[in-house]
Amino acid sequence: MASPVIELRNVTLKFGAEVLLKDIRLAIEKGENFVLIGPSGQGKSTLLKLMAGLIAPTSGDVLVEGKNWRTMQGSERADIARKTGMLFQKNALFDSLTVFENVAFPLREVLHASEEEIQETVEKYLDAVGIWHSKDLYPDEISGGMQKRLGIARALALRPEIVFYDDPTAGLDPITSRKIVQLIVDLQKEMGTTVVAVTNDMNRAEQMAHRIGMVVETELIVCGTPEQTRVHPDPRVQQFINGALSGPLTVNA
Amino acid sequence: MIDAIGTHLIRGTLVAGAFLNLVAQTLIGVFLPPYRYKDVVRQFYFVANQSVFIIVFCVCFAAGVTIIESSFHMKLVIQNDSMVPGFAAMLILRELGSVVMALLVTSRVGAGYAAEIGSMQVTEQVDALRMLGIDPVRFLVVPRFIACVLAGFVLAIIANLVCLYGAMLVSTWKLGYTAGGFVTAMRTFVKFQDLVFASIKGAAFGAVIPLFSSFFGFRCRAGAEGVGLATTNSVVATSIAIIVIDFVLSFVFSYFY
Repeated sequence: MASPVIELRNVTLKFGAEVLLKDIRLAIEKGENFVLIGPSGQGKSTLLKLMAGLIAPTSGDVLVEGKNWRTMQGSERADIARKTGMLFQKNALFDSLTVFENVAFPLREVLHASEEEIQETVEKYLDAVGIWHSKDLYPDEISGGMQKRLGIARALALRPEIVFYDDPTAGLDPITSRKIVQLIVDLQKEMGTTVVAVTNDMNRAEQMAHRIGMVVETELIVCGTPEQTRVHPDPRVQQFINGALSGPLTVNA
Repeated sequence: MIDAIGTHLIRGTLVAGAFLNLVAQTLIGVFLPPYRYKDVVRQFYFVANQSVFIIVFCVCFAAGVTIIESSFHMKLVIQNDSMVPGFAAMLILRELGSVVMALLVTSRVGAGYAAEIGSMQVTEQVDALRMLGIDPVRFLVVPRFIACVLAGFVLAIIANLVCLYGAMLVSTWKLGYTAGGFVTAMRTFVKFQDLVFASIKGAAFGAVIPLFSSFFGFRCRAGAEGVGLATTNSVVATSIAIIVIDFVLSFVFSYFY
């Protein structure tokens, strides 16, 4: 059996005395869509950033393609970073660059591609996410949904093998949310990438996930497939997916 | 009480370590590819060209104050202001020109850098650079550092020469000196090496501006208040550093006089 693309071994993260994540163990296989769900403020985005190497764990190891973020040297880190793409929760678009230049930026800076290649690649990705017509606008001149699409195009421009999506449907209307998730699924199928996504929306999680995990009270509950998640015995999972007002998640709220 | 002191000491050591790490990464980045010539030129234009007018305007007034105050005090103490040109020129070249220039660049450029990098930090643009495999220090700090060192060097020469020229104009207008008399009197006190030392000071001051600004920008906390605090802290820390470096360099240069 092939080794997992992403592996978390007994990962614990503390900020000062506060424990954010405790003893997390997880293995994500190549080509898998793994979706993290859970109430707000429980550490889903933090867990995603741990996997992406943007945060170092207090203890435990995070491995990507068998390499440990903790022991990786500068060039190795850069190599792994280039194999990964990320859509940030607030998109993190370069606000001083146009839509076109946001996607061209990694091609120019990382791949040192020629202007013809840049033109061709940017057109391909902006067309794929449906915002080619806005290529000359700046990020603050386009809508929230278009910013998400631009973030996805930029994340995919280097043809990453692993893509992290941090709440790709946050703040979007249901129709746009569905379209964005469909776009993610289609691009994943086309490119054969491994996807790890964070969302609060159970419907969108079911739409894109092969497996679902729930982050709650410093733990990661790996629930399994969307079908297995629906019948998971943990009352916290049931309360979250049913959106019930009373239950273990709201006892201390 | 002891716990609190210990905590502050540990925190202070960690912060100092993080700053020294940024300094080391920046210095290494200056000599390693990729060399971002276009970014350096763009930053040089922003730092030097766009600061020249403000610096020229301010040092002219500083020159006037120096001449008038020097004359007033010399007349008071030794009943004679014949040494004013030399004394004022020495003060301008050894302290005033470079320090005023550096403090002005700190308030204009340093504050801007801290706010820019702070905003990029809180909007996760710095993380986005890392995710693209781009080192934020190499990309953001190194070109600014090179540009500020070069601009500090050049601006110090301009500031000092303009300041001396301003002092000469005020002397001829207010104290009755001729231009030639001012220069002759000045040359008995100052030499060309004073201008060289002043420009070295300018380059050193230029170096600390992007380092402190970037450091506080990278440590910026979320929100408008966080960006404001990062900007304020960077200006305060840079200004203190400039005063301290001025003292150290003046002490070192004193061995060459």
